[in-house]
Amino acid sequence: MTSAASKTGNWELVRRGIIDENTIFRLAISLCPAIAVTSTMRNGFLMGVAVLFVQVMVNVSISLMKGFIHPRIRLPIFMLVISGWVTITDMLMAALAPDAYRQMGLYIQLIVAFASILAGAEMFASKNSVVKSLFDGIGRGTGFLVALVIISAFRELLGKGAVLGVPVLGGARPLLIMVLPAGGFLSVGLLMALFNWADTRFLKKEKGR
Amino acid sequence: MIGARDVAKISLNLVVVYVVGGALLAAVYVNTTPIIRENAVREKKAALHKIMPEADRIEKRGDWTIHEKPAEYFVAKKDSLVCGYLVESYGKGYSGLIHLLVAVDTLGIVKRISILSHSETPGLGDGIEEGWFTGQFAGKTSAHMKVFKSPTADNIQAISGATISSRAVTEDAVKKALEQIANAHKGN
Repeated sequence: MTSAASKTGNWELVRRGIIDENTIFRLAISLCPAIAVTSTMRNGFLMGVAVLFVQVMVNVSISLMKGFIHPRIRLPIFMLVISGWVTITDMLMAALAPDAYRQMGLYIQLIVAFASILAGAEMFASKNSVVKSLFDGIGRGTGFLVALVIISAFRELLGKGAVLGVPVLGGARPLLIMVLPAGGFLSVGLLMALFNWADTRFLKKEKGR
Repeated sequence: MIGARDVAKISLNLVVVYVVGGALLAAVYVNTTPIIRENAVREKKAALHKIMPEADRIEKRGDWTIHEKPAEYFVAKKDSLVCGYLVESYGKGYSGLIHLLVAVDTLGIVKRISILSHSETPGLGDGIEEGWFTGQFAGKTSAHMKVFKSPTADNIQAISGATISSRAVTEDAVKKALEQIANAHKGN
């Protein structure tokens, strides 16, 4: 897939990151954050934005450096670049969004270890132009953001009976399990199934696959 | 095999990444630290009133140091009568220092504690922020500040899987804060 990437259009790259190769629902990587921070929609959204930012910056940086890095230290350099951008995100968030940072500051630093970020760097940015890598980063990051928002909206609605902190279910008793880690796994599984079903039902037909 | 040219190139790679990355990090650090510090001060002020809601005035009484960190203590007044004290404290946690506030009444009995910041393991050590854990401190004195792994009425029950974090809060930060208040009184 990467070999043909130079011919793939920019928006096609974005679409691919969101739908065909969605980090959570398709590649099923970086599931840990998808479960850890998605008990409320607000946290899911903020984590998604942080990951989107890191993914885009890492993709662009790695692409800029690709001709310069010695292959033997490729991965250590990727990790350095990723941890640098994560630290920057961490500091920016602590300064600009202190309330959110209080709740999820611990998880921001864990972005360093997200397989999705390293996958973007290794599989795409290290082999493609800066512009393509930018769009690939936007696609992957947005795909992650969309997935986190969907999962967290689902969990908050069922687990707390609320949307963005506003109760909507009236007197109905929420399912506590949905905000616990077990509920995270259940949500990801159910949504993944839904995603697959929608994909075979609507998208594949169109493409005549 | 790695030749001399490879070694030179690898070294150059690393130097460039360190220098550029370091410069970028330094620039962001310099610009965000003042805002982060301001936020922390504001948060501390809000937390002081939150854990001593009965007070209408909270005045700074003095400074002390714990784990080489400067900390403050305060006196809380209601209708110009002293109704308790507030102490800022630090405990050595599983990863880094745990920063917290302790509210005590005039007899040295804990009213409430509030965790201000920490970097304990998400999902385990961060349980120190939860109400069931911090709630255990109410009504206890420095003599009760001991962690047990089983349910206990007189002492503090550890968070399962996070004994180090529980100890850091109880036997380190809170206990020392209570001793500090006791000492400050002797001086008066």
